[in-house]
Amino acid sequence: MSAAANRKPFDAGRAAYLALNIVLLAFLLAPIAIVIVFALNPTPFISFPPVGVSLRWFEKFFASSDFMNALWLSLWVAACVLVLSVVIGGACALALARGNLPGRTFLTAFFMSPLMLPAILTGLALFQSYLLAGIGRPIWGLIMAHTLIAVPYVLRTTLAVLHNFDHRIEEAAAALGASPARVFFEVTLPLIQPGVFAGGVFAFIVSFDQFPVSLFLVVPKSETLPVVLYNYMKFDLDGAIAAASMVSILLALSVVLAMERLIGLKAYVKL
Amino acid sequence: MSFGVDRSIDLRHDTICMAAASHRPSPIAWLIAPAVLLFVLFFVLPFAVMAMMSVYSGNPVTNPNAYPTTRHYERFIFDTAGIFHDALWATLRIGLVTTVISLLIGYPLAHWMARMHSRLGHALALTAVIAPLLTGIVVRTFAWMTILQDKGVINTTLMSWGVIHKPLPLMYNEFGTVVALVHIYVPFMVLTLIGVIGRIDERLEQAARSLGAGRIRAFVEVTLPLSLPGILAGSLLVFALSISAYVTPSLMGGTEVLTLPMLIAQQVGTSFNPNFAGALGVVLLLVCLVIVIAYNRILARLSGEQGLA
Repeated sequence: MSAAANRKPFDAGRAAYLALNIVLLAFLLAPIAIVIVFALNPTPFISFPPVGVSLRWFEKFFASSDFMNALWLSLWVAACVLVLSVVIGGACALALARGNLPGRTFLTAFFMSPLMLPAILTGLALFQSYLLAGIGRPIWGLIMAHTLIAVPYVLRTTLAVLHNFDHRIEEAAAALGASPARVFFEVTLPLIQPGVFAGGVFAFIVSFDQFPVSLFLVVPKSETLPVVLYNYMKFDLDGAIAAASMVSILLALSVVLAMERLIGLKAYVKL
Repeated sequence: MSFGVDRSIDLRHDTICMAAASHRPSPIAWLIAPAVLLFVLFFVLPFAVMAMMSVYSGNPVTNPNAYPTTRHYERFIFDTAGIFHDALWATLRIGLVTTVISLLIGYPLAHWMARMHSRLGHALALTAVIAPLLTGIVVRTFAWMTILQDKGVINTTLMSWGVIHKPLPLMYNEFGTVVALVHIYVPFMVLTLIGVIGRIDERLEQAARSLGAGRIRAFVEVTLPLSLPGILAGSLLVFALSISAYVTPSLMGGTEVLTLPMLIAQQVGTSFNPNFAGALGVVLLLVCLVIVIAYNRILARLSGEQGLA
């Protein structure tokens, strides 16, 4: 890694270091690649090596009313979560960064805490609360549960953008005679937009893939896609799961690309 | 899931700027109201309900005969059935092994990425780390089932080469559980470590080398000690996440693995004993809270030091 090492014609240590890291990256990516292979492999069971390419599992997935109902429910819930968490999280980020509130460090940690506590416990606590309140397990209860988990993501991306831009831009607008409302709509909002959008994209995927929070909050016959897949996988491992997984992977990949465009992936590195 | 950022430096800096201007909250502060409402109704209250349920004999709203009791905790502590303590140890053991292996895999990757000069290479590697993170846990567990099961990728390949004659038991045990958990949580380790290693001045290592230290010695005596807080923070995060995992142990562990989250799900799903589930939840919550507080302390101290430097 040092300059001296670079000048040597062949450096065994460096080559080994590079090889090790490529193996480790392969470990991260290989399972995902394998899911894609199985989604396209026409044999009735998961079998290796693949024998051909077919779309029969996608047909099975898209023709199954169980899967389709679950897919639509998941998409619908995720869309509601996106809107709610963007509004609530975006507003909260503005208040934290510009509201001059006392105890902001504590408040930020508090609003981030759903990410730090076991999701299955959040699900359990909400399940018990709905039970005590006697409201059953309504869809809006599930949406609120997902929103709770999604708000921290929106908060983080928006705060990141708010901290990166210069206060003085807003002050300059105000000094030039803009009213506070005009400063907000014409300066602050456009500037934080990428952060809020990125958070919304994240919120969508977090809800779409959510399992532990949903587990106790869904009712039979109206389960989200991850719950249906989980129940299916307990008894059967066939290409339909792989096809469903591939839909989810493609979604994740498009999110990564959207994220890179909106605020850059570096915003996701800690500290 | 989380790769939460501790932004205390920025906040502290803001506080100083703001304090000079005014001490009073501005009208913008009211924008916090919806979030407060959401968190009180769907976060603070539910956890209070969970704690309350854990000390009641039944549902105190619908059942007038429900009375306060410590019997759920006694049941866990005395463990006459002999499964709860085993489940707790299995949970902690799986968490510990997962953490150590994630560190061994995550550290080289983070070091490589933090010191990479090519922007394209960095972006590609970062995509490779983040893409699995955004793929659902159920999907990633499924991927490992196709690899590790008896007719899976590894067993079929080894058998067709004639290396083995009957499938290796790679799944439905702790081994398979740990492999899948490591894959799921390594990205959190990498993302925590990149930030910490990236802040260590590369010239320190170069100085050590120009003073005659070998590459390994320079790493062990300079870079490694400086990245210790990151190692600790990443490990605590992965540990907290893996002891609360449910999907992976229940699918990869089969009947051989029973962890605390699986026990909780059983109490809710099959035994329908939400009160005992609440007590188990409080136990898991306490373990996680201790870890999370330690994690936040370390990150806060780290950003404090960097803020002064």
